[in-house]
Amino acid sequence: MAHFDTQDLEHLKKLCRLDCTPEEDADILSSLNKVLDYMEQLNTVDTEGVRTCRYVLRSLMKQQLREDEVKDLLSREQFLSNAPDQIGGMIRVPPVLKAP
Amino acid sequence: MKPLHHFSALELRDSFVRGEVKAVQIAEYFLKRIKQHNKELGAFLKTLEAKALLKAEELDHKRAHNKPLGKLAAIPLAIKDNMHIEGEITSCGSKFLKNYKAPFNATAVRLLEAEDALFVGKTNLDEFAMGSTNANSAFFPAHNPWDLKCVPGGSSGGTAAAIAARLSLIGTGSDTGGSIRQPAGFCGVVGFKPTYGRVSRYGLVAFGSSLDQIGPMTTTVADAALAMEVIGRPCSSDATSLDFPPESYSLPTEMKEIKIGVPWNFLENLKPEMRANFAASLDVMKSLGAKIIDVDLDVLKYSIAVYYIIATAEASTNLARFDGIRYGVRSKQAKTLEEIYEYSRKEGFGKEVKKRILLGTYVLSAGFQDAYYKKAQKVRTLILDAFEKAFSECDAVAMPVAPSGAFEHNSIHDPIEMYLQDIFTIPANLAGLPAASIPSGYDSRNMPLGLQIIGPQMCDVPVLQYAHAYEQATRHLRIPPAYEGLS
Repeated sequence: MAHFDTQDLEHLKKLCRLDCTPEEDADILSSLNKVLDYMEQLNTVDTEGVRTCRYVLRSLMKQQLREDEVKDLLSREQFLSNAPDQIGGMIRVPPVLKAP
Repeated sequence: MKPLHHFSALELRDSFVRGEVKAVQIAEYFLKRIKQHNKELGAFLKTLEAKALLKAEELDHKRAHNKPLGKLAAIPLAIKDNMHIEGEITSCGSKFLKNYKAPFNATAVRLLEAEDALFVGKTNLDEFAMGSTNANSAFFPAHNPWDLKCVPGGSSGGTAAAIAARLSLIGTGSDTGGSIRQPAGFCGVVGFKPTYGRVSRYGLVAFGSSLDQIGPMTTTVADAALAMEVIGRPCSSDATSLDFPPESYSLPTEMKEIKIGVPWNFLENLKPEMRANFAASLDVMKSLGAKIIDVDLDVLKYSIAVYYIIATAEASTNLARFDGIRYGVRSKQAKTLEEIYEYSRKEGFGKEVKKRILLGTYVLSAGFQDAYYKKAQKVRTLILDAFEKAFSECDAVAMPVAPSGAFEHNSIHDPIEMYLQDIFTIPANLAGLPAASIPSGYDSRNMPLGLQIIGPQMCDVPVLQYAHAYEQATRHLRIPPAYEGLS
């Protein structure tokens, strides 16, 4: 059973902000359909009344949220050292707002 | 004295501490081995020559002045290239991060360095740790030292190849669905995935946050235990880090009164050769005093389906941060903000990564979330329940590491067949359990096979104890013939 077609894939790519080459598209479409077919087997498992797993550590996990305080902060210089484009201590991107 | 690469990490450290060998000698020796063999193995993406030599000189100086030495003094150590070493590239095997310089140390890296390990290099991996062969590395594949035609496994295949060929004596891996244990099994070394939360994930580039765990890959179980003593501790920078003090690992050589559970129903499709090898491993454990019992873990047959929903969902979320804005490679073709995202990700990610981001987004998208993601998390609960019940009857569960020994490059093309390679390793990740992979012999092609021992959460010490007893009784661990000699 085909779960989705080229059109669905295009929509999904938009959601992911991800572009692919045409060769990738063809391969991805076929393998995603195979994988989703395989996942159909989960429908045979009775999960009536079963709770959704949120944590794998059932009894071991303590409430251990730390204080909301600033620490281990990277300096601006350190942070920007990996930025692909920067200007005046800030990251540069193309204009987001269009001229009216 | 035997060649340095025939030492275990513990032996080499002790030899250094006794003054029989200098740290600089050790560093030079292993760096030379990497230089000699990395071309054919593809194990390292980068060597850290200057860093290793500098540290070695410091250690020789410390020793000469009788200053205290760390637990890992002068042990050559390889770091998987998805963990941060401050100031070095963390590429994750991806073109996207080929220039990314880590601004801080991963907690595991910091702890290993503080105990005086010599970092010799960063090892190859499947892009963002997604894969079972190392073929998904954006740079070059790694190869299996037992047969270069075969894969070393993945995603920590670079580390596995490096340890098997003795280009380093300890390595780190990360394990989301078997990425430490499967390559360890394929390359005939020891691999250990700790309890989820035992080792801090801070500074490990995230793949599946509820599954990822850092662990050691070594040539002996005792060396893995040594590494765990160092890295298995709480960390305030990782909210899922377990708040338990580090444990010390004493390693007995018997298994008296230990009950080992075998999920025979789950293993019914094992190939005869694998079944025979596994049965022989069970006999060894019996001879050590263990009692073998049958446990029901039939629900594990859904592990792959559950895993590829949860892991890709988490990956699609985690990899959203690679947008070409703040770090990584930005597409030169992009003219608008949207194009920066789309083109940078198009050019920066390989096909398997794209596939998983798309799949993960699909299973989380409106209209499908209940059918896929929530359903998978419910079946995950059933898997946790089944393990809990099994562990009320036994101390540990045993099964093979993988359905076969290492296969040849490019021999598996079907995505499901590839994903099924991880059928025996994935359950421990889904349930957060500690699991060790130990060499259990060789197949008819003379490729290594592995035994897996899985324990209840926080039973990391017992798991390595059973693994040690088994290892001492069998001594299957060998150096691949091509790498035994000096050059």
